[in-house]
Amino acid sequence: MNDCSATFSRRRFLSENAMGVGGVALAWLLQQEGLLAKQENLTKARPKLDLLPKQPHHKPQAKAMISLFMHGGPSHMDLMDPKPELSRFHGKTYQEDVGYSFFNDASKTLFGSRYSFRHHGQCGTEISELLPHLAEIVDDVCVMRSMHTGHNGHEVSIRYMHAGLAGVVGRPTVGSWLTYGLGSESQDLPAYMVLTDPAGHPVDGTHNWNNGFMPSLFQGTVLRPKEPRIFNLDAPEHLRGKLQEQNLSLLAQLNRRHLEEHPGESDLEARIASYELAARMQVAAKEALDLSRESEATKKLYGLDDKVTREYGARCLIARRLVERGVRFVQLFLGSQPWDNHRNIRTALPRICQRTDKPSAALVKDLKARGLLDTTLVHWGGEIGRLPVIQGKDFKKCGRDHNGQGFSMWLAGGGVRGGMTYGETDEFGHRAVVDRVTPNDYQATLLHLFGLDHKRLVYEHNGRKETLTSNRPCRVVRKILKQG
Amino acid sequence: MPVHSVVACSLLGCGIILSVAVSAIAEELTYERHIRPILKVHCLDCHGATEELKGNLDLRLRRSMVRGGASGTAIVPNDPEASYLLKRVAAGEMPPGDIKMSLAEIETIKQWIASGAKTARPEPESLTVGLGITPEEREFWSFQPLERPAVPSAAHDDRVRTPIDAFLFAAMKPHGLSFSPDADKASLARRAYLDLLGLPPTPAQIERFVADSTPDAWERLIDELLNSAHYGERWARHWLDIAGYADSEGDTESDRPRQFAYKYRDYVIRSFNSDKPIDQFIQEQLAGDELVPPPHTNLTPKAKEKLVATGFLRMAADQTISDNNDSAKNQVVADTIQIVSSSLLGLSVGCAQCHDHRYDPIPHADYYRIRALFEPAFNWKNWRNPDSRRISLYTDEDRAKASAIERQVVDIDNERIQKREKYIAEALDAEIDTLPEAVREPLRKALKTPGDQRSDEQKRLVETYPSTKINGGNLYQYNRKASGELNEIGETIAELRKKKPFQDFLRVLTEVPGQVPDTYRFHRGDHQQPKEKVTPGVLTIATADAQPYEFSANDPSLPTTGRRLAWARWLTSGKHPLVGRVLVNRVWKHHFGQGIVSTPSDFGKLGTQPSHPKLLDWLACELVSRGWSLKNLHKLIMTSTAYRQTTARNPIKDAVDPDNRLYWRKSLIRLDAEAVRDRILFTTGEISLKMFGPPVSVTDHETGQVIVNSPRRSVYVEVRRTKPVAMLKAFDLPVMHTNCDQRVSSTVAPQALLLMNSDFILERSIAFAKRLRREMATDGEKLVNFDSHARMSHLRRQLTRAWQLAYLREATENELETTLAFVRGQIPEIEAREKVRFEQASKAAAAKKKDKEKKDQKVEPPTPLDIELKAVANVCQALLSSNEFLYVD
Repeated sequence: MNDCSATFSRRRFLSENAMGVGGVALAWLLQQEGLLAKQENLTKARPKLDLLPKQPHHKPQAKAMISLFMHGGPSHMDLMDPKPELSRFHGKTYQEDVGYSFFNDASKTLFGSRYSFRHHGQCGTEISELLPHLAEIVDDVCVMRSMHTGHNGHEVSIRYMHAGLAGVVGRPTVGSWLTYGLGSESQDLPAYMVLTDPAGHPVDGTHNWNNGFMPSLFQGTVLRPKEPRIFNLDAPEHLRGKLQEQNLSLLAQLNRRHLEEHPGESDLEARIASYELAARMQVAAKEALDLSRESEATKKLYGLDDKVTREYGARCLIARRLVERGVRFVQLFLGSQPWDNHRNIRTALPRICQRTDKPSAALVKDLKARGLLDTTLVHWGGEIGRLPVIQGKDFKKCGRDHNGQGFSMWLAGGGVRGGMTYGETDEFGHRAVVDRVTPNDYQATLLHLFGLDHKRLVYEHNGRKETLTSNRPCRVVRKILKQG
Repeated sequence: MPVHSVVACSLLGCGIILSVAVSAIAEELTYERHIRPILKVHCLDCHGATEELKGNLDLRLRRSMVRGGASGTAIVPNDPEASYLLKRVAAGEMPPGDIKMSLAEIETIKQWIASGAKTARPEPESLTVGLGITPEEREFWSFQPLERPAVPSAAHDDRVRTPIDAFLFAAMKPHGLSFSPDADKASLARRAYLDLLGLPPTPAQIERFVADSTPDAWERLIDELLNSAHYGERWARHWLDIAGYADSEGDTESDRPRQFAYKYRDYVIRSFNSDKPIDQFIQEQLAGDELVPPPHTNLTPKAKEKLVATGFLRMAADQTISDNNDSAKNQVVADTIQIVSSSLLGLSVGCAQCHDHRYDPIPHADYYRIRALFEPAFNWKNWRNPDSRRISLYTDEDRAKASAIERQVVDIDNERIQKREKYIAEALDAEIDTLPEAVREPLRKALKTPGDQRSDEQKRLVETYPSTKINGGNLYQYNRKASGELNEIGETIAELRKKKPFQDFLRVLTEVPGQVPDTYRFHRGDHQQPKEKVTPGVLTIATADAQPYEFSANDPSLPTTGRRLAWARWLTSGKHPLVGRVLVNRVWKHHFGQGIVSTPSDFGKLGTQPSHPKLLDWLACELVSRGWSLKNLHKLIMTSTAYRQTTARNPIKDAVDPDNRLYWRKSLIRLDAEAVRDRILFTTGEISLKMFGPPVSVTDHETGQVIVNSPRRSVYVEVRRTKPVAMLKAFDLPVMHTNCDQRVSSTVAPQALLLMNSDFILERSIAFAKRLRREMATDGEKLVNFDSHARMSHLRRQLTRAWQLAYLREATENELETTLAFVRGQIPEIEAREKVRFEQASKAAAAKKKDKEKKDQKVEPPTPLDIELKAVANVCQALLSSNEFLYVD
């Protein structure tokens, strides 16, 4: 059975949409409270997919997650995986086999990083000069240096990272699984929110926040960088404010009269209540997006005072505000693959670092200062890394081609041990060789942090018991957990 | 579970755990009835189902349990403590894996052992391999042969109009329930139109029915609606859900459109409209190709119809154009079996793909017997992808024209290939010239040597300079101009090909005459592990013990194997226990909002029991005896008292049966996605009632939502699997992964937001307001200069009309007064806003004029009429969004 018809009582409706009863609502709705409070005894008891908070399998460390997804493949050997041997053999011919995506520029000439690495923090994790702000928070960060998708293509690996199977579309993404497994904590915001880039959708578009075979209840809600921030959330300009309030009041009158003729119809009550929810979403989303109440110091921390960092900083700050308000999973995306440095890596890589480094580190600092880091998992990383060999002819204008054989990402908070690195790539940074971590291992680990067992978090689809890790062999990476 | 639901649950006896627990108390525990079903779920896969027994332990018989396996005896009758099986199970060691026995199941086994481990009857001397089907399993309700039940006599209630009512009344009477009064005539008319046509009646149609006081007015209305062409559009959609209809292939990336799938949709609509007997409808869909002798050229309309019907078997997503591997091919076969079995058999046959069905008596081998019916057409060893499964409707003349053009194409293409090779050679020369002098010649030589003949030295050389691997695919990376030129030639070819006569196709399922592949049982469902050969057959459980249904694996009287045709005839023989029950249950569900069996595609153990088993059987017998006429069945149902009741609740009856499982009233039903959209378009007067043909395309709106810009009915909107229309999806349009056996009817905030703020609803509201003005204006001129009295009277007429069109009733005086006040109240605010807007627009226009970019755009100041229109549109929006509009009572 994949579906079932269901009607809801008002209370059930409210709880399933995780909006609770009481609290702020528009005046037009308050008028109806007296009428709507009665008749609770008509609920159907059929089990139903919902957003009610659910018990995890074991005690969770993390309650929320913010994923800063770095589309395109950040160049790990230039950022957080120092390779002195690679520098030593710079310009020499590489002897191993290499998988290329761009043959015209393909080369076996080794390309050492031109950036200097230094030890930072108490832990001494080595970070490149391109990421001075990450360097400041290394004691809270676990750098994973042995990520491995085994596929060099963007989409293939993106889907693997988000939904558990390389290259396969139509599967629910991490946020869907978390929302399905744990429900929503938020009283009036969607549990799974996606913040897209003004430069447009990321590669693979809406597949990045797909609910796949799950109901659309578990789909990521897109917070767009421009109006309308959420589809259909706000009234069109000519109705905004007073007029829409009047319209809703008229609608409420019509519905009230209809309900009088159908007393006790829980479905009708639920539909009336759904307007309350919609109204609260309007208010809550607006409030969450309003950064004017943040202190100058906070704004500065995220780089809102600098045009280079302002946009990404604002989104990081919004992400924190969403998590504060009970949103379960927030993911930030970048448009047009700024980390995909096939050419001109000398200029392009510093540029994207400058845009994102300060805001990303600020997020961790800010969460920590507010006591939220312990329960909020922050993820920074992309779907692949880059090759140790040059792409192109000369070192001035060259770049690096795709590499899914080994790359880095970092995690902080939410029960992850800070001040450590995990795994290694070979001496050239080409392949993950020690403690290799696949996307499925990563997914099993993050579910574990949320108190969920990746094997037991099952969704039945077409008679199959589906899991995020698609029942593939994988492990929880215990060494990076505070409570292993 | 809330308290009141327990009442409903015990009242109607649903839930297997409950019934096991109850019966366990009532009767003596036996192996066959109580223990085997538990073992079948948890243990028999390894300890009984296959020839090879894990630990040499066979749990299929009591005596073999006592005998035990490698670890010694499994049970000691009368001594649970000493029973090894119980020990392992209680410790959670067995079964291995994540799913363990429940405490209730363990307790049942324990009690059974304690009470002597009894069997229901002497055990057989020997067993054949596998689990087989036990007499207890055969007893299950849905496998019983169909027998027409006697209609209960119901002399005491004059509300009983038809046998349906007699069955329902007999069931509700013991609970002190009785039918509710008939709904008023206007409600009945709204109900009938929306139910049968998916469209509302016009105010005039309602009026006519209400005024018709002849005794058979209702019957005649039903007949009239069943004869409407829109009936087929509505009821085809229900069938298309379960058939998994889609206009795209569901390939991962492109979700390639299925250009000709719509012919199957039109076939279904026409079949419903012509009341094609359902047995024939099923036979055509399962085996239409076997009814049309080859060659499939110069086809008659009748022959085309039968071939198009097999589109039913082509609805499964098919990725084999982009992903031509064995898994993808076998997935198509599996999905097709899923669609066929859920739609016609009402059993989760797919669960037997990997092992014996855990709950229902469907052996693993049965699955492959059914698969063998399809393999001559879905021959995965000699696969045909969607493009090669089409029948061209080209005439000889078309064909000649096309091949003349194709000859031209070949010439141009040869030229393109030559150029491409030249450019590749040039690019390679240039590339090599950038390399150290010393390697150039050896590298050239190495590259000229075919890959498999290169020396190790040459291989190494090529690998060291990977940028010399130039081919047609990456040429653009070296010489953009050249690849542009090649692309242009490609475009010329495409243009030329467009000049060919349009080639129309039928999407069909056919067999290749003479090709009859063997079918094998796949171990664990894995096509890479074929086991023994199986012959085509039917579900064993669906045949009566004495008369297994036999047919030839290759019917000599047909050019095809005749397997599907034989099967289709068996399914529609009237003797099949499932088909008739499943079909009438679906029809019932659409009329009443819930099925007699509330799990329409699962009539097995995990499904729910019928609330009215005798009524279900009686309806299934009626369907057959009335010549498989669906229209007859509709009329039978709709003329019942049960259908005609009001929807009103009643506190006393609600306390007994809150979910109305006993049909003491008519349940309120929310319109489904298509009906919401169609009713809105109908009400605003925008709808196009054009029928049939290629689907209207969906598009991506700039906001990223999928929209459809067409006033056609929703059944004609393109079903692109990866692009469900946002407006329809919000109201629970199913996303077609495989098929949809039952829609949800959700109530979520995005629906509210959509009805508050979406372009769709705002545009419809304006259109509705314009319709009102158009229809209610007696003299357009006067309107401009109307005095306040004329203005009020005109407004009042519009609002009166709005109620008639949207709610299909007259507005009350109170409603009219309130709404008039609403419109009057909004006008000053709208006026102020429009004024600001006008001033801004004028400024913008003036600025543009200066730039001389555009010729002057005329910006008109808002007239009182424009302003009033906006206020009326707001009323329209409220009406179109309201519950009275979205629900059928």
